[in-house]
Amino acid sequence: MMLREDRSPRRYEAALKVRGAARFTAEIPVASMLHAALVLSPLPSGRVGRIDAGEALALPGIVRVLTHAEMPRIDRPGVLIPLQGPDVHHAGQPVALVAATTPAAARRGAASVEVAYERRPAILNLADGEPFAPKTAGRTATDSRRGDPETALRQAEVAIGRRYTTATNNHHPMEPQCVTAQWDGERLTVLTTTQAVFAHRLAIAECFGLRPEDVRIVSHYLGGGFGAKGGAWFPHLVMAIAAARVLGRPLRLELTREQMFTLTGRRQETVQDLKLGATKDGRLTAIVHESLAPTSMFGEYADALATVTRVLHACPNVATRQRLARVNAPQPNPARAPGEGPGSFALESALDELAYELDLDPLELRLRNIAAHDQHVDLPWSSNGLRECYRAGAASFGWARRPMRPGSLREGHQAIGIGMAAACYPAYRMASEAAVGIGADGRVKVRCGTQDMGSGTYTVLAQLAAEALGMSYAEVDVELGDSLLPEGPYSGGSMATASFTPAVETAARDLRGRLLALASADAASPLAGIAPERMSIADGMIRSGNRSEPVSELVARRAPQGLEARAGAAPEARPDFSAFGFGAVFAEVRVDSDLGEVRVSRLTAAYAAGRILNPLLARSQFVGGLIWGVGMALHEATVMDPHLGRVVGTSLADYLIPVHADMPAFDIHMVEEDEPRLGSGGVKGIGMLGTVGTAAAIANAVFHATGRRVRDLPIRVEHLLRPD
Amino acid sequence: MSKTHVTTTINGEPTEYLCEASQSMLDVLRDELDLTGTKEGCGSGDCGACSIIVDDRLVCACLMLGAEAEGRRVLTIEGMSHGDKLHPLQQKFIEMAALQCGVCTPGMLIAAKALLDRNPNPSETEVRFGLAGNLCRCTGYDKIVRAVLDVAAEQRETTR
Repeated sequence: MMLREDRSPRRYEAALKVRGAARFTAEIPVASMLHAALVLSPLPSGRVGRIDAGEALALPGIVRVLTHAEMPRIDRPGVLIPLQGPDVHHAGQPVALVAATTPAAARRGAASVEVAYERRPAILNLADGEPFAPKTAGRTATDSRRGDPETALRQAEVAIGRRYTTATNNHHPMEPQCVTAQWDGERLTVLTTTQAVFAHRLAIAECFGLRPEDVRIVSHYLGGGFGAKGGAWFPHLVMAIAAARVLGRPLRLELTREQMFTLTGRRQETVQDLKLGATKDGRLTAIVHESLAPTSMFGEYADALATVTRVLHACPNVATRQRLARVNAPQPNPARAPGEGPGSFALESALDELAYELDLDPLELRLRNIAAHDQHVDLPWSSNGLRECYRAGAASFGWARRPMRPGSLREGHQAIGIGMAAACYPAYRMASEAAVGIGADGRVKVRCGTQDMGSGTYTVLAQLAAEALGMSYAEVDVELGDSLLPEGPYSGGSMATASFTPAVETAARDLRGRLLALASADAASPLAGIAPERMSIADGMIRSGNRSEPVSELVARRAPQGLEARAGAAPEARPDFSAFGFGAVFAEVRVDSDLGEVRVSRLTAAYAAGRILNPLLARSQFVGGLIWGVGMALHEATVMDPHLGRVVGTSLADYLIPVHADMPAFDIHMVEEDEPRLGSGGVKGIGMLGTVGTAAAIANAVFHATGRRVRDLPIRVEHLLRPD
Repeated sequence: MSKTHVTTTINGEPTEYLCEASQSMLDVLRDELDLTGTKEGCGSGDCGACSIIVDDRLVCACLMLGAEAEGRRVLTIEGMSHGDKLHPLQQKFIEMAALQCGVCTPGMLIAAKALLDRNPNPSETEVRFGLAGNLCRCTGYDKIVRAVLDVAAEQRETTR
């Protein structure tokens, strides 16, 4: 049974955060630390010539100016670690690093460094690049094919083909990326904003030829990530660590908000061609989804744009094809619901267009195409709650009252529109270890080297251990965000919770078994001689019949140093099922007829995403995911100057993210799912799901309000005001 | 570089510090006074993470010079609770889980307090527009708005 929201444990670290007492990376002082500031290339392509640091070095507080000439060589293919050579591949690329005694001095120094460049030709627009097939798209194959989609399209009773585009987005977690690197001979301590203490430990050890155990990565509190603090942050993290080694002193590099437009990855823009074929009664017979997106000159990354297309709806004939083209721009990386977000915009918009071709209710069209199994891999679902999501969402939203004809609903000078879309996201998992211990004071400690981006990892770690042990949540302490802990999962791909849950539960059950055995064997215990299987633990008491003993007393007497159990869990090598979370999003928008301004007034969403550990925090994750969809639909666009190759508008005043005043009324439904087959303890992951389908639901609602189909995100006033 | 001597009151405590003429109040709080509860999200007044109250006025600490605090009363998140006793807004944020990563949270709480100090009976729209300058990337704002409205209602109840 799912907990009620009001019965859910409260956020573990909330009391610290509301006092401003949680110390984030940039707030942890390190003795004799220097501060770094970066000198950035204004050119998108070129070669660094003479660097004149004379004026900078004469300023107070400047310790050194490092360029590619002074930095150690680091061999890491596929990523651009700055200051490794003179070549410039994108505007904003660091070409020198100024180390100073204060951040302000470093900034002044960076502004005084003179760099001469040799300008080189640049490819600044996606259309000018040469398309090629990447090795993979996210964690999926680049292309796919089932049936004969071309023939099916030709023979379809109804067919449509449309082009959709989405804009470049930046992640912009509220906390800028930061690293403080501290060398001690061949040992290294790195305090940084990372979504992956263990993955970064290994990669950093490889870069510097160290043993992983000599590298310690710490990230206790993380101010959001959304993909920007994983691989996207890695090149600059390594640059700062290398600089600290050259300087022989601890070094802190804290990015500016402006630099977060260029140095921490981006959601790539997309051009997507979608063709659908269907019977007159609305059965899909063909889907062809072809996409083009940019990658950088030095790396290769493709979002998994086709994942949703391959699995969400039943269709016998499907082909997907994903291509990249190189441009002189920063390296794209995963951003919340990478691929599934923009890809579902194209698919779910096209489905709405097909519904209007067929004159069929868009929800009814989807109900006629529910996939009985995963046709892409030809495996049964672990579970598929999509039908229940459609039902619960539609009922709560009042979908049945929606008139089909666009432009039917008005209130004053506002046109009202209603649209919907479906969503799915793969249930990923990776190997994880965890330890659960108990001390003589009766306090439980969970240790797991994962991170909490703000999603609620501290809370669910404590909750899982408390529940499995029979202790109260308030008696549990959590340690995470440190590579000295048992190896925990990456925080991304909605997989952290699914990965550590079985490890924590196994460790806690093991510890419970040891406690009961101890009581049984202990002559001093009131439970002596009772078989462990006849005992239970609840509220910190071991009980059997009318006999009982507090766990803390047993531990204090028999294991005064405390007890700890450690366990690991890994995903099935070849599962015989396919696991996805599903959802349905219903949007109501109001469009000002005079101004073209779009406001989302209501968002109802229903999700079937496996076992929900903490509905109070899960709701926040779903709503948080939804606003990323709102941002994608209506606000967010990183604009590149087509001639200069620079980001236009590098502040949060220029790059719009949704604010309080943009928010609709949210109505979230969590469909209960029993998932005994999932080795994750039934957890499917929830962080990404809210961002899938949402932009399409909003665009479909805009069409319903105005009769205008906007196929290019974000939807802007000019889309709605320009004459047909 | 010559420094400016500033005498001010921070969270009710008489405070003196030396700062550079160009140093922002945000840098003074975080780097000189170790009051790191005030967060830096942008340094350009766009995100509200560094919201503080200066003489009853809501200010982005990144847009104010440290020297400008001379003779004023400054309230930061560290002064919002009294010892162990949290401000009702802080308590409500915990109860309703109106926070996630926690970087916008201190500024959000300070801005919400400034809003309720000015307008004890805000409508939902007034809360949404009143806090529109405080960006959050995690929560979707939903629970924050409800927490502020709840606290406003409870405070009206107790002062009636």
